[in-house]
Amino acid sequence: MPLFDSLYRYARWLAGDRAEAEDLVQETYLKGLRGYASFAAGTNFRAWMFRILRNAFLTSRSGLRAVPPLSLDDEPAAQEHLVDEATPETELMLRANRDSLRRAIEQLPAVFREVLLLSDVENLSYKEIAEMLSIPIGTVTSRLVRAREKVRVAIAGGIMRESS
Amino acid sequence: MNRHLTGEERERWADGEAGPESAEAEQHLRQCARCASEALRIVQMKRAIHDAMSEETGPLALRERVRRQMRGGRRRLPVWSLAAAAAVALVLISVWFPTRSRSALPELADMHVTLLASANPVDVISTDRHTVKPWFEGRLPFTVPIPDLSSTAFRLMGGRVVYWNANPAAYLLIGKGAHRISVFVFRDELAPRNLRESPATMSTDVWRSGGLTFVAVGQVPREDLEALRATWEGR
Repeated sequence: MPLFDSLYRYARWLAGDRAEAEDLVQETYLKGLRGYASFAAGTNFRAWMFRILRNAFLTSRSGLRAVPPLSLDDEPAAQEHLVDEATPETELMLRANRDSLRRAIEQLPAVFREVLLLSDVENLSYKEIAEMLSIPIGTVTSRLVRAREKVRVAIAGGIMRESS
Repeated sequence: MNRHLTGEERERWADGEAGPESAEAEQHLRQCARCASEALRIVQMKRAIHDAMSEETGPLALRERVRRQMRGGRRRLPVWSLAAAAAVALVLISVWFPTRSRSALPELADMHVTLLASANPVDVISTDRHTVKPWFEGRLPFTVPIPDLSSTAFRLMGGRVVYWNANPAAYLLIGKGAHRISVFVFRDELAPRNLRESPATMSTDVWRSGGLTFVAVGQVPREDLEALRATWEGR
C-alpha cells in the first residue's frame, strides 16, 4: 500500500504513541478516500495525504496538547549563533552510532524535527514540505539548515561529554 | 562563481534544490575543496539520518486493517466514491512510483547475472576463506568477514572487488550444488539505500552486521539464502 510506511512513521513521530499513530494512519486513509473530491488537480498528492495526517493529529487530544511547540514560530533568532563543532570525530559518530543520531533528532524542537524528517527520511521536496506545512519555501530551507546544525552540535556535545 | 557557497546554498545543493543555480554550484564544487568537503558532509549526514530514522515500518496488522477499512468503506459508500477510490489509487500509483527511490535489488541481481556470465567472475579463486579474506586487504577499506562453510551445504568459490556508486564493495561467489549465489558486502553508510523490493525472478536476502550490509542474490529458493545468512550470523 503506497505511502503506508511513510505515513505510519510520520504519525509515530507526531504522536509518539504506537496505538495513536495507528489510529491516525487509519483516519488519514479514510479521510483521503472520503475527501478526494476536495483534492485539487495539480496539487501534490503526497503532501496532501501528509497534511491530512498532520491535521488529524493537531485536532486529536495529544495534538491539541502539542499545539504550542508545533505551531509557535520557532525560527532561528538572528542573534543566536550556534557554533558548529563538527569534527572528523563527529562525522564518524554520525555514521557509526545510529542511537546517538536518533537521540539528537528526537531532542530537536518539533518545528525543526518535522522538516528534517520530511526532507531526509521521507524525501519530500522543499515545495512539498512548504505546501504541507503552509510555510514559505525559504522557511523550509532555514529550518533545515538549523535542524542539521543542531544535530551536529548535539552529537559533538555527546562526544565531549563521553570523553570528559 | 568566484566566491564560496553559503551554508544555505550548500544545503540546497545537497537536497537537490539548487534550482537554476545548480550548474553554477556544481562547477564551483568541482574546483573548491572547502565547499566540496562541506557539501559532502551534508550529503553524508542526510544519508545517516535517512538510514537511522527509516527503519521503522507500519505493522502488518495495521496495513491489513486499513485495507479492510478501504474495502468496507467502499461497500457502504455511494457509486461516485468508487470512482474517487479508483482515482485515489491511480494518483497514488502515478505519484508514488516515479518519485520513490528505485530498489537496488534488481540492479544487484543484474550484476549477479553479468558477473556469472563473464569469463572471470572472481579475481581470487579459492575455497579457502583464509585465502580470500586476506586478498581483500588493501583493496577495501574494511575487513570482509567470511564464515567457515566447510560443514555446510555451501562452498566458497572466490571473490572480487565491485563498485557501487563509485565506492568499492566486496563480492563473494558462493556455490550450492550447481547453483551460484552472489554475496555483496557494503559498508553500511555506502550501501544502497533502498533494498526492499526483490526482483521477480531472483531470490534476495539482506542483513546487517558489524557496520556492514550484506546482500545475497541467487536463483535459489529463498530458504537457501536464509540458511546462508544464518551461517554468516553464526547461528
